[in-house]
Amino acid sequence: MKTRINLFPKTCRARKQTLSVVKRLALWGVASLWFSVAVSLNAATPEFTLEIKNHLFYPAEIVVPANLKVRLRVINQDDTPEEFESYELNREKVIMGNSQTIIFIGPLAPGEYPFFGEFNVSTAQGKVIAK
Amino acid sequence: MLLNAVIIVLRETLEAGILMSVLLTISRQSGLGQRWFVVALAMGLVGAGIYARYLGEISLWFDYAGQEVVNAFLQYALYICLVVICLMNGFSAQRASQRNSVMMLGLLMVSVMLASIREGSEIIIFFTGYMSSGEALVKALTSGFVGLMIGGSVGALCYYAIILQKADKVRAIQTGVLTLVAAGMVAQASQLLVQVDWLPSAAALWNTSDYLSESSILGQLAYATFGYEASPTPVEAVLYIVSLLLIPAIFVGVYCYRKKSQSEGSSL
Repeated sequence: MKTRINLFPKTCRARKQTLSVVKRLALWGVASLWFSVAVSLNAATPEFTLEIKNHLFYPAEIVVPANLKVRLRVINQDDTPEEFESYELNREKVIMGNSQTIIFIGPLAPGEYPFFGEFNVSTAQGKVIAK
Repeated sequence: MLLNAVIIVLRETLEAGILMSVLLTISRQSGLGQRWFVVALAMGLVGAGIYARYLGEISLWFDYAGQEVVNAFLQYALYICLVVICLMNGFSAQRASQRNSVMMLGLLMVSVMLASIREGSEIIIFFTGYMSSGEALVKALTSGFVGLMIGGSVGALCYYAIILQKADKVRAIQTGVLTLVAAGMVAQASQLLVQVDWLPSAAALWNTSDYLSESSILGQLAYATFGYEASPTPVEAVLYIVSLLLIPAIFVGVYCYRKKSQSEGSSL
């Protein structure tokens, strides 16, 4: 037997229209609030730089403030691509040869968070220390 | 043998392999054959090559957020495809109509393409690092081939494990696995957007890495099948749960609606 499913019955449609203005206003409100929070927070986000040279991370240990979002600028000086990866930080990003990128990390609880270059695991190892 | 190359290729093919095996069982059940799969996979790999070639430029978009934004877009698109495939597969108890099967074919092809673009491009970029030395490249490629075979075998195992089940069970397994894989896609994509600050970041809700580490083999399998994440942030957790519940919610909703309209029809 075949039954047709009406996703928008007529009774719902009228209510939908009266709601739409309120909904739209609410959406704009949330969006602008989110945007302004993002902008204001961004301005206060500290930046740290990490370099990749000969498949090694410099510095191999980065100390960052705990419980604060930070911006990590990763500069790959090698000709070959690398993938910044960390299970503890939940991060994964390819950085092409001779280029740089930005990765946001945290806010982190105090502790050590190892990371590695997935394409050169044997040498590219490091950790973020949140204090 | 380059162990690293084996692991990288295995990790990527494992995830795509499990997904593709389920899609192939659906195709078999819908009587769509397997030829489309080869075409979609080939197109996906060409797409992966193009994506890998331009990833350097793409990465610069949106103040270095390009890579994550494009990857997240691919993952969300894949989620939508999988949801529709799940629903079509769940509701077409009778033989599918001509129009439905064309749509199903399209969705299956797009899903395979989307999955292979993302996973394939990472593998291609990895190998470009070995381009300067022919000997090293051959070594990396042979090691990668081993990874591909292991990942492919897991996929094949999944495929046969599903089609050997009783017919009434098959649909439930397909729906279950696809729902989990699809929700995992959303979790991954959301994490990518948190990484570039497009979604709000916050402290992790919990940390289960002491029980199941993401770097362990079991953790990797869990990641590939349902997007296991040892320390998720609130946004990821919420989006994961919502996307996980969406498919069962639609099934329950439609079931209730059908029951209601049936009882109304009988009372008239």
